[in-house]
Amino acid sequence: MTTMRRRGTYLRHAALVGVSAIMLVPFYWVLKTAVTNENIYAYPPRLLPERPHLFNFVDVWYFIPFPRYLLNSVIVSAIVVACNIAFNAMAGYALTKNFPGKRAVLLLFLSCMLIPFQATIIPAYLITSKLGLLNSYVGLAFPLLSTIVCIFVFKAAFEAVPHSLVDAARIDGLSEWRIIVRVLMPLSKAAIATNVVLAFIWSWNAFLWPLIITREPTMQTLPLGLARFLSYLEDTTGALYAFAVMVLAPSIFVFLMAQREFIRGLTSGATKG
Amino acid sequence: MMPATGEAAGRQGGWWQRKRTRDLALIACFLLPSLTVFFLYRVLPLGWNVLLSVQYWSPLKPARWAGLDHYEEMLLYDDVFWQSLTNTLIFIGAAPFAIALALGIALLVNSDLKGAAVYRSIVFLSYPLMTVAVGIIWRWMYDERGGIINFALRASGLITKPIPFLQSFDWALPSVIVAEVWQVLGFYMIIILTGLQSIPQHLYEAASIDGAPRWAQFWRITLPMLKPSLFLCAVVGILNSFTSFDLVYIMTNGGPGHATELLITYIYKSGFGQTKFDYAAALTVVQFILLLALTYLANRAAGGNAGSLEHR
Amino acid sequence: MPQWLVSRWTIVPLLFSALVLAWNGYVAINDGGLIEGRVVDGIGQPVPDATVILFDRSFVMHNERQRSRTDEAGRFRFTGNDNHSLQLEAQTAGLGRSERREVRLWFRAQNVTLADPLRFTGRLP
Repeated sequence: MTTMRRRGTYLRHAALVGVSAIMLVPFYWVLKTAVTNENIYAYPPRLLPERPHLFNFVDVWYFIPFPRYLLNSVIVSAIVVACNIAFNAMAGYALTKNFPGKRAVLLLFLSCMLIPFQATIIPAYLITSKLGLLNSYVGLAFPLLSTIVCIFVFKAAFEAVPHSLVDAARIDGLSEWRIIVRVLMPLSKAAIATNVVLAFIWSWNAFLWPLIITREPTMQTLPLGLARFLSYLEDTTGALYAFAVMVLAPSIFVFLMAQREFIRGLTSGATKG
Repeated sequence: MMPATGEAAGRQGGWWQRKRTRDLALIACFLLPSLTVFFLYRVLPLGWNVLLSVQYWSPLKPARWAGLDHYEEMLLYDDVFWQSLTNTLIFIGAAPFAIALALGIALLVNSDLKGAAVYRSIVFLSYPLMTVAVGIIWRWMYDERGGIINFALRASGLITKPIPFLQSFDWALPSVIVAEVWQVLGFYMIIILTGLQSIPQHLYEAASIDGAPRWAQFWRITLPMLKPSLFLCAVVGILNSFTSFDLVYIMTNGGPGHATELLITYIYKSGFGQTKFDYAAALTVVQFILLLALTYLANRAAGGNAGSLEHR
Repeated sequence: MPQWLVSRWTIVPLLFSALVLAWNGYVAINDGGLIEGRVVDGIGQPVPDATVILFDRSFVMHNERQRSRTDEAGRFRFTGNDNHSLQLEAQTAGLGRSERREVRLWFRAQNVTLADPLRFTGRLP
């Protein structure tokens, strides 16, 4: 009985190790290409990097220029994250109240989830153009400033706060805004973390919208920079792949730091708020 | 700022009205920023798309009424449209296999196996990554000279000459699909895991007591209770094939020819490459209707409102 | 210890900022643009009065930037380098050209002293 169970466990481990290996091979291959010192197009490719060095990363930093794209991405993501927290918390709080037309608003939000961003790109471009926000940080951030999933995350978090606390605060004479900031938000740290992580990842990885909106290379974000140099850096060194590794590093870092929040955000979006 | 409760209770009519209005005004203010964003970038574009699709519109000339001309051109004369549509549907067709694979992995991981969390993280790692970078990675994996896929195939003797995966009419679309599955597998797994963990254990215990074999337990208990999760995965799979712009743009840009052209890449090329905004709007309308139809069909297949919210 | 201080959301950003500051400090101290080295012939004898050429990299090509001469002990030095990827080559009448050495730096204008001298393949008479 125990032997069978142990064999079952070994089999499970073996299968999972196999799956993990397949999932990790792309990372290894790109990392190996980024640090190798040989002509990357030579056949047969080596499985281990030859005379590995990290100087490709230095090249990418100065020649791309990496810092400019990094700055643009960081600024846009910062705007998106900050506005997401503010707007979503406000909307989430409003949805915890009862008011006439609440059902209509809820329906509006839910139906907006059905509209993927890709179904809006042409008019979104025209609207942004009319607002004069083309090629600007605000224009880059605008479509992402609020997300419905996160509104419902905040709504659920606020509803979980005991009413007595809110009532006590109201009796103390706090305005609604202060109630949110002083009472509800400190008790919704998980919701804030989820919001931050989701907003950051969605804005960091956005490619199609910046592609449409930016007119100059200096306003481009990291994904655009990476795509743009796809054709330039087809030399025999691993510089392009070093660029890819540098671009992926922040995402992987955020993922490792905030895995739980990210997963929670994704799965809570799967249930009606 | 707020009146004492005694005062508010004492008065009616005027003052009460105003407080209620103030509350409503406040709620409206709170909802305003989000609603503005959604109105400007979801609702309005949807309507404007429909409007653009029945006009002859260009940035410089005034709009003229076009009726269904664009739709006629699209459906009757545009081979690229039909090719993109086919490709998009093939993309969707790969989703069930990916979901089944994710189901298998989730079942393996969903036990008190030591290190299950590590396996879970490894499989999920690919999902939050920048799709542009994922495209570049896979482009390199498929490379004829430096790519590991061709190397492994040749080294194991399965083929003698390298296969130009991304330049071949037959292999390009499957290659892109493999890359997409690699990235989305972790998401499916997470959704299914959440569903698995919400199945009450006592159901399994009762079935074991009744002597039901493991596979019967799977079919009769696990799968039906996973329906909402599987439905969500299906919807995401459908959505993914409508939104996989980044991957296709980086890996093949729709080529060779239009072998990997998806509806979304064709929309982009028509609108921003050829600046035929009106035609691109018509394409978008068709794409959106298709999306709604497929989601509705998936809902019916899942047996009514078994699905929860569609993911963003 | 208050809880927020030991959470990963505080420690990691602080650590990261500390690393960034330390790195920038190191760069600030060492970015004089100084390149020093020695030139020797095939058997290790120093080569005096050889011309040393410094190339630096502009995206895909290396361009000649500066020239200098070695002293009696075969040492040379360049100042004012502002690039991160260089090549050095020495020339002298009796021995022709030396190897072209690739020097890659961690940051622009990093001060570097060549550990391995530039070598000619012949030997001085």
